[in-house]
Amino acid sequence: MIEIHNLTKTFEKIKAVDDVSVTIKDNTVFGLIGTNGAGKSTVLRMMSGILKPDSGAVAVDNMPVYDNVEAKKKLFFIADEPYFFSNSNAQAMERYYSGIYENFDSEEFYRYLESFNLDKRRKIGTFSKGMKKQLALLLGICAHTRYLLCDETFDGLDPVMRQGIKSIFAKEMDEKGLTPVIASHNLRELEDICDHVGLLHRGGVLLSRDLEDMKCNIQKVQCVFATVEEELKALSGMEVLKKEQRGSLRTFTVRSTREEVAARFATVDTVFYEVLPLSLEEIFISETEVVGYDIKKLILG
Amino acid sequence: MTSRNSFWVSSIENHKRRIWVWIVAALGNLMAYVGVLSVYLSRIRTRNADGVYKTGEEFRDAMYQATKDALGFQTHLGTVLVILAVIIGVQGFSYLYDRKKVDMYHSVPVNKNKRFVIIYVNGLIIYLVTALTSILIAVIAAASQGAVNGEVLAVTGVGFVWNLLFFLVVYHTAVLAVMLTGNCLITLAAVAVLMLYEVIVYTLAGNMKYSFFKTVSGFYVTQSPKLSVFSDYSEKSWRLKQLTDVNAMVRGVLPYYGKWFILALVILAAAWLCYRKRPSEAAGRALAFTRIEPFLKIIIVVPAGLWIGMLVRDETYGNTMLTVAGMAVSGVIACAVMEIIFDFDLRSLHKHLISSGVAIAGIIMVFLVFEYDLTGYDKYLPSADELDSVAVSVDYYGSFWDEDFTYVSSADFSREHMFLKDVEPVLSLAEVAQQKDSEDMDDARNVNVLYRLKSGRQVGRCFYVDFSDPASGEQMNSIIRTKEFKDGTYQIMTDQASYDKAAKITYSNGAVNVVLPASDAQKLRDAYLKDMEQYDFTLAAEERPCGQITFSFPNWMEDSLNVYSCFENTITYLQSQEAYYPIQLNAEDIADITVTNYHHELEENDSIMPAGEAAGVETGSDFPVDNTVTKTFLAQEEFEQIVGVIYPEFMSSGWNDDRELDNNYDIYITFKKDTAYPYDRSNYGVYYKFYTDKVPEFVKEATAPGAGD
Repeated sequence: MIEIHNLTKTFEKIKAVDDVSVTIKDNTVFGLIGTNGAGKSTVLRMMSGILKPDSGAVAVDNMPVYDNVEAKKKLFFIADEPYFFSNSNAQAMERYYSGIYENFDSEEFYRYLESFNLDKRRKIGTFSKGMKKQLALLLGICAHTRYLLCDETFDGLDPVMRQGIKSIFAKEMDEKGLTPVIASHNLRELEDICDHVGLLHRGGVLLSRDLEDMKCNIQKVQCVFATVEEELKALSGMEVLKKEQRGSLRTFTVRSTREEVAARFATVDTVFYEVLPLSLEEIFISETEVVGYDIKKLILG
Repeated sequence: MTSRNSFWVSSIENHKRRIWVWIVAALGNLMAYVGVLSVYLSRIRTRNADGVYKTGEEFRDAMYQATKDALGFQTHLGTVLVILAVIIGVQGFSYLYDRKKVDMYHSVPVNKNKRFVIIYVNGLIIYLVTALTSILIAVIAAASQGAVNGEVLAVTGVGFVWNLLFFLVVYHTAVLAVMLTGNCLITLAAVAVLMLYEVIVYTLAGNMKYSFFKTVSGFYVTQSPKLSVFSDYSEKSWRLKQLTDVNAMVRGVLPYYGKWFILALVILAAAWLCYRKRPSEAAGRALAFTRIEPFLKIIIVVPAGLWIGMLVRDETYGNTMLTVAGMAVSGVIACAVMEIIFDFDLRSLHKHLISSGVAIAGIIMVFLVFEYDLTGYDKYLPSADELDSVAVSVDYYGSFWDEDFTYVSSADFSREHMFLKDVEPVLSLAEVAQQKDSEDMDDARNVNVLYRLKSGRQVGRCFYVDFSDPASGEQMNSIIRTKEFKDGTYQIMTDQASYDKAAKITYSNGAVNVVLPASDAQKLRDAYLKDMEQYDFTLAAEERPCGQITFSFPNWMEDSLNVYSCFENTITYLQSQEAYYPIQLNAEDIADITVTNYHHELEENDSIMPAGEAAGVETGSDFPVDNTVTKTFLAQEEFEQIVGVIYPEFMSSGWNDDRELDNNYDIYITFKKDTAYPYDRSNYGVYYKFYTDKVPEFVKEATAPGAGD
């Protein structure tokens, strides 16, 4: 488990991270979402022990991470622009990382390289941006650390590669208890990968929730009520996050389980009603609008 | 699965990324050792082919010396060492400049201390392996040409440690510079600042002292940098190179070995501390520790502003207002430049106004302290009660040596051997000098004084003494008559051991050079010491020596001692050895006398008249007229009139100097070849000068303008 308590970091009078507290549970995929400059990279770099927090603490499996080799053995950090030695190839990088990470699996690494059609002898300098990200991910996966911290690593990967990486993640999580932490500025990139999402804005955490919890607790209902009284009866005691009206068609986003919503609407007189699934994007829009933010501006552009 | 996380695996991985540094270091060392050696040896072989060396032994010695020069204390090796040390130091830790690299290296589970040690040790290995290999190749190459013996190997070893320690100091400084900065260019600037700051400040302080104060003396108390390896290396390498004895060489280098080793350790500790404290986010910034920016700005801007201010002062002939204005403007510009460098942003030029204000105020304050002598530098005069002793040097700069016959400056000798307890005459002269300007003195002579205070402090000053003033002469006699003064001024007074080792003794009256057996040294010294008891200021200032004894020692050391006509013991001894010849030449031995009259009195007029008019000649040219008139005299009666009024030009004159000699004339005397006098005929003749106002009339007439040969 990675525990972050009241983390603050300032760069030359600019507060990049302001009092962030997040807990990352083992064996989940944690998505860290935020706009450019929201502080995602800074949080990840503090989680990796690269940066020393001005205040607050980061603990990896109850060990402080900064300047602590034992804690760092448990994590692998993939930067937004990963660094590879000049004039090196995948083989050279494997030799370096296998000398550093005790559990680095070289055979597995070369197997993955073949699967992803990456030439182990080709100079990395000639790789495309996406290929470099794939290589960095494969190195990180084969290091077999408990935590894999990825900074914007999935942005720009094509859907096939994303799918490939996803399946490796699933396998590693299943077999080795891997906990990927993925930072991205794009919510849509993470929707199908993450189990838990933390939303960063202006250095602080807007929210941190399990996606399943969020999905289960927010429902979208489209309906046409027989009368206005029936509408009031249906919504009474229910937390309505969003309400839209087009003619007689009402669309509500409510905080409740699917069963509760279905049960409530079954008791009122409706011409038509349907409980619809919400996309991660819609959930975020609803959640953040409640606290006064326009999520579209923040992460959807 | 593999587990290769060991020190050596990491070390080898690090070396793989430093291959170009290996190549540069190998080339640099090969050029510095093998290249230079082959040039030196080939030069000796060429000279040998030209017949410069008379014997095979001479040639072999020259080859040994060339190898020692190339592999031991080679002065220009310093440049190669500095370049290599900076490259190796900066490249090793250059990942700290790049955020991508920092992210990678600082996130992996490698102990921070271990990473430092690996990079540091690898840098050292690069230097050691390439230097030692180059030396080995050079030694083999020299040996194949018969240019290696035990002494050469010893000097090579001593020189290698010397160069290694110098390398370490510069290498550690480069590493420290990397830790303090976040950008390669700024690192190089930081290396320059760290290595040269002390030298620059000392030079500036020295220049300012000499510009503003009149009693500054660098004679006894030198204000030289204490920590700069550059000044030590360049100055000492040259001196060590001159030494022929390996033991003397070792004695000479040991203090520097110790000093440089400690310095290297201290700098390494500072680099280590900065490495530990350096934030990862410093990559790409100018400075790693932004808090030191104001302090750094002040310590750089103040000397920079003062330098520029001093230039303005020179250009404005000492105008205080313009100098202050120049300093203020240069301070403002320097502060702005520093801020721009700190932020890599032109818009930052006006940032941190408080520290800029402090820096500019500092510049002006330091200037005013010097300009108005606010510390009372020139007024300094300790009381007799404060003083333990003084050392005085009066216009005498002979040559001195230590037990290894290594050169010792007259200041060092005097400082170590002269302890005048009667300080009153010195204080009295210093007080007079404070009240009277040297321009108001008829015969102002420079006197350097070292005040040794009871507190242990030592203060050096210089002032002028009017040698023509009888009162000053009395004080000078009080000083010079003392045994302490003589012991601290003439090495012969106390150093019997050296004189026992004299290789050659020569007596000269200016024309005759007689070689005495070295075994005479003891007796001659005894006689001379007895005569020195009567030596005082009056004698030295009023009488010219009648001859000179020169003792020659190993390592080309020489001591030339004046003999005065009243030195009866010395003269009697020289006479007993048939070595004494009077200062006045025997006219019968002279073949001819050529007198050149330069007519300097006409040159004075030339300076205010059109060229040629002074001599009454219409030249039609703008070039000065050559008024020189030369006349050769051949008659015996002319010789007899001349020999009584001339003095050998190259004979030491003591403190009488040229006061009594007429510089308008040059006299060149050639001697007959069949005389009984043992004249030195290697030069065929000797130069003399007329005593002032003693030039014979017939000479004046014969050399008048328009006359001559």
